[in-house]
Amino acid sequence: MSNLIRAELQKLFSTRIWWAMLIVMLLLTGLSLTFIVIFAGDPAQNGAPGLPALDDPAWLPIGLSTASGGTIFTMILGVIMMTSEYRYQTITGTFLTTPQRGRVIAGKLGAGVLVGMLFAVISLLVVGAVCVTAVLIAGGEVSLTGNRVPQIVIGVFASLALYAMFGIGLGALIRNQIAALIGAIVWAYVIESIFAAIPALQVVGKWLPGGGSQALMSIDVDTGLGRPDLLPAWGGALLLVGYAVLFAAVANLTTTKRDIT
Amino acid sequence: MSAIEIRNLSKSFGLVRAVDDVSFTVEAGTVTGYLGPNGAGKTTTLRSLLSLVTPDAGEALVNGRRYASLEHPLTEVGAVLEATSFHPGRTARNHLRIMCTAAGLPATRADEALETVGLADAAGKRVGGFSLGMRQRLALGSALLGEPKIFILDEPANGLDPAGIQWLRGFLRHLAHERGAAVLVSSHVLSEVEQTVDNVVIIARGKLVRQGSLASLTQNGDSAVRVRTAADFRPALEAAGARVDEVEPGLLRVYGLDAEAIGQLALDNRVLLTEVTQERSDLQQVFLELTEDTPVAAEGVK
Repeated sequence: MSNLIRAELQKLFSTRIWWAMLIVMLLLTGLSLTFIVIFAGDPAQNGAPGLPALDDPAWLPIGLSTASGGTIFTMILGVIMMTSEYRYQTITGTFLTTPQRGRVIAGKLGAGVLVGMLFAVISLLVVGAVCVTAVLIAGGEVSLTGNRVPQIVIGVFASLALYAMFGIGLGALIRNQIAALIGAIVWAYVIESIFAAIPALQVVGKWLPGGGSQALMSIDVDTGLGRPDLLPAWGGALLLVGYAVLFAAVANLTTTKRDIT
Repeated sequence: MSAIEIRNLSKSFGLVRAVDDVSFTVEAGTVTGYLGPNGAGKTTTLRSLLSLVTPDAGEALVNGRRYASLEHPLTEVGAVLEATSFHPGRTARNHLRIMCTAAGLPATRADEALETVGLADAAGKRVGGFSLGMRQRLALGSALLGEPKIFILDEPANGLDPAGIQWLRGFLRHLAHERGAAVLVSSHVLSEVEQTVDNVVIIARGKLVRQGSLASLTQNGDSAVRVRTAADFRPALEAAGARVDEVEPGLLRVYGLDAEAIGQLALDNRVLLTEVTQERSDLQQVFLELTEDTPVAAEGVK
């Protein structure tokens, strides 16, 4: 199995998509971090929640949690890792080398976890450096052990890694690259946000991948619409793994079984 | 046990019966040509052998087993399928290295295989810029990675230039006759494989039409000699025991005498011949008949 995971990593790193995705992730994460730095200390107004000031110990976890915005990118990368095999018909060579198709998908899931963690490391390093600098310049004190900082770091690792798995499972189920990408993005940006924003729907929303991801980091910031109802962090992790495995298992019984012609 | 064994294989795609009750075997040390017009079911047969396509009925076995049950398939079977199945952004070397990693083969095999197929200079180039012939060579390189003893090649000559085809012929013969491999090579062009193969299997519209050694197929039946002459040569030929058809004025098809005997007869009778041609073999005839009246109805089956 370790051979298959290494082969999947080689596949990803021998084309250019991974660093393009990495750059876009850092740019967009940087953008939302910039706003959180600029509007730090703004008081709550018109019912909208305010942000703590930079020198307030409560700011650092909020700043760091912007790194979790990378989930969408590791998910897209996961979808691409799976669907580009069909798009470029490299799936033929892949299945000739490893005719046990379930093992190919398992290898990809394993590689997806590692790639997600790599993205998490890079994102956390960049976001962390900006946050710490901003806090220090504002004259605040940096504590990397208090204020849920360790939990957020673990949450970012877990959610980026698990979203990559999620994307691979989704891609195995929907072999058409464009369809799978559109499905993933619509899901993450439209459906998830509806379920996350409306309290009445949060009963369902907490069982969706986005709810699982929020639970991982316990981002229980009051958005003005009431505190979100979330699973415990371990429950969120299990939920995301569950989705990936479910998709992969269903794919293994359906799409992956199809003839390669 | 045969290296490749196909037993009563059938496969339909929708209403199209792509392969219909086909059986044949390929033995180690021989090259078998799998011939038929486009859409005849060649690719479906080969993909069934490689467990890429699940047959509806029958079996397609390599070394007596289903391909999907092989623990180290690249060391037992080398396959060349469509030349397009490469990621355009990946280099030739990386393509082969990835296969080596997944198969547990040393990475050095990638460069050795590229060397063998004459792509050493292009190893670091992205496949997107490769010509069809280079992709075909790369595909062949991937088949060589595990140094297998069975080769399954689907139209490997497609896109190769004449020198490449010449090289491929020699290479396939070398694999079979010197390294003892079993080689199954498909083609829709008889002349491409005629000089390479030991045995021939012909398929049309999913059904097996003919199989046997190349020699037995070409020696069967009446082979004719085309003779062109302005003189009235027919009585002399018939007196010598030949059967003669007049194709058109001045062009005769002669059965029962070989070209040398006809030449001697012409000299004896002081007749000027402007053409003496051994007509194409029976195999060519069979093949042409198949390719001519077969509509490309099953083209979608590819």
